[in-house]
Order: sequence, then C-alpha cells, then structure tokens
Amino acid sequence: MHELSLARDMTRIIGKVLGGCRPLDTVNITIGPLSGISPESLRFCFTEVAKMEGFGEPKLVITETEAKLICLDCNVEYQAKEFYQGCPSCGSFSRRILSGREFTVDSVEIMEGTD
Amino acid sequence: MCDDTTIQIVDISTPVMNKNDRFAASNRELLSGKNIFTLNLISSPGAGKTTLLESMARFFGSKMAVIEGDVQTDRDAERVRKAGCQAWQIETGGSCHLDAEAVNHALGHMDLESDELALLCIENVGNLICPSGYDLGENLKIGLISLPEGDDKILKYPSLFSRISVLIINKMDLLPHIDFDVNRTIDECRSLNPEVMVFTISAKTGEGMEEFCGYLENQFSG
Ligand SMILES: Nc1nc2c(ncn2[C@@H]2O[C@H](COP(=O)(O)OP(=O)(O)O)[C@@H](O)[C@H]2O)c(=O)[nH]1
Ligand SMILES: [Mg+2]
Ligand SMILES: [Zn+2]
Repeated sequence: MHELSLARDMTRIIGKVLGGCRPLDTVNITIGPLSGISPESLRFCFTEVAKMEGFGEPKLVITETEAKLICLDCNVEYQAKEFYQGCPSCGSFSRRILSGREFTVDSVEIMEGTD
Repeated sequence: MCDDTTIQIVDISTPVMNKNDRFAASNRELLSGKNIFTLNLISSPGAGKTTLLESMARFFGSKMAVIEGDVQTDRDAERVRKAGCQAWQIETGGSCHLDAEAVNHALGHMDLESDELALLCIENVGNLICPSGYDLGENLKIGLISLPEGDDKILKYPSLFSRISVLIINKMDLLPHIDFDVNRTIDECRSLNPEVMVFTISAKTGEGMEEFCGYLENQFSG
C-alpha cells in the first residue's frame, strides 16, 4: 500500500503550491501504466488523506496514459496500456521502455463563490 | 441562493516522486564521492535477503556496510553485525517500503569514512510491490526470489522485475524437493527486462556466492 504515502505526497505538493490547505473541487493527475500504481487504491487513499488534511472531498480525475515501448526484435515503436502487451508487429516482449512510469499532479480546481 | 461560482484552476505540474528523487540524487552523490557502490535489495519477506547479506558480510568483511529496512525490530541488523559488518536499522514504523529520505538519514548515522568501505547494501522492506518505484540512490537494484515462492512470480510483479539490473534466484539447495522451473523464471524476467543479469545461489550453503560476490567486486573495483 505505498499508495498511502503517494496520497500524502500529493497533498504535500498541492499544499505547497497553494500555500496551505483549502477545500478542492477537483484534482487532476496523470498515471502511466508502468508506474506500478493501482489507480483504485490511490483513489481510496487520496479520498481519506485529502479529507483528513483539510482539502475537502475533491473529485480525483485520473488520466491514464499509454506507455511507449520499442521492440528489440523488430525495432517497431509501439504503445501499450499495460505490461502484458507485447509488440503488435512480431509479438515479442523484448523491449525497451521509453515512457509509461509517469505520475504527476497536473492541476487542482477550486470552486470560488462570487459574493 | 447564489450559484454564481467560478472555478479557479491552479497549475501544479509536479511529478509526485520529485522529493524522493532529489534525496536519491543527493545520496548517490554522497556515496559516489566516497567511492561506495550501493545495492538496493528487494524481495518478499523470507526470500533470504538477510541470509544473503550475512553470507556477503563473511565474504567482504569491513569492505561492506548494511542498511536494514524493516517495519519493526532491529533483529536483521543484529544478525548482519554478528556476521562481521557495520549495520544500521531503519524502522519504517508501518511503511511498506524505504524511501530515499529515510536512507539519507541513515547515512548520517553511519561511519562511511573508512577507506576500506566499498559496498553498501540496503535491505528493503520485504515486499515485491511498494519498494519498486522508490529510487534510493543505489547503483544496482537487485530483485531476489526464492524457490519456495513458486516460479510464477516474475510476471505477477512486472513493476519490480522490469526495473532490476540483477535477478537472484535463492534457495537453490531446495531444487530437488521443489517444482520450480529456473529457466522459465529467467526467460520471463528477460522478457520484461532484456539486460538483466541472473545469479542462482543458495545463501545457506554458499552455492553461487563466489560468482555473485566476484561480480560485485568487479563492479566496485573496476
Ligand atoms: N534452504 C534455504 N533456506 C534459506 C536460504 N536462504 C535463506 N533461507 C532461510 O529462509 C528464511 C528467511 O530468511 P531471511 O534471510 O530472514 O529472509 P528475508 O526476510 O528476505 O531477510 C530463514 O529461515 C533462512 O534460514 C537458502 O539459500 N536455502
Ligand atoms: Mg530480512
Ligand atoms: Zn517486434
């Protein structure tokens, strides 16, 4: 369950940019399919951590990217949604990972009442 | 009721591992400045990390130091000290992995000044999932699996086995008693990770230890 520490890292990063905690409407993040992070478990942890730390109950919007890989057998560059997807052209699993491990907090949305 | 609300979007654009990676870079700089080659050892609980370190400690003696990561107790550090080398215990207090900041603190407590010291081994918390994404500042990430765990583990934990530089298959002394396809394990690991180095050992009997320790020696003296 390293998702719990990751959720705490997320609120630390958000709090730092905002200069403190405040209720959020939405949190937008990006997770690569090879990051080793379980989106469901992160969602569960983040909901708890955000509430506990004074960020309210924001919607967590997760953009799941595709990984970029290059086949070491036939040199084809391809995209994959998960680890178990081999080269579409020759079926090989022998490959180099070009991207797919990213995990970023992209932005937060804050509702502001005009009064 | 006033539903005249606006939404303010605040750009964050920050990789979540930033802080860990900064500490990892600082550990790496500190250790390479002292010519210390560093290993991050990852496996399930009971695969034989501490036994391997005991065996390595007998081989390397004061050339080697150890950081032990455990949820609780400093039993493993005590075992390694008895085998003959400096060991510092990090008690993570519930956390399922080590991070680079915890290692950074540990380094501050250790004696790294001896000219002899050439190898630092970090035993991560026993877990095949959580430690995989945390760079500690090591030179080599090593994954260790043991025969009793079964030969289907590699593809179940791709996040770890795609990142390691060295795969150790431990408890080879049990091969006559256990259905474990060593070649399948190696093939599956190479499929995720074409450049992985593989060692088959028994930390208990010493089988394969000379080869593995020789390989490490080449890394830090070569
Ligand atoms: N048969 C056999 N047992 C081993 C071997 N290496 C470790 N063990 C045993 O496996 C158990 C767990 O070992 P330990 O080193 O504490 O595992 P760790 O949790 O990964 O640090 C202990 O009872 C060890 O004696 C080995 O090569 N062969
Ligand atoms: Mg241990
Ligand atoms: Zn191909």
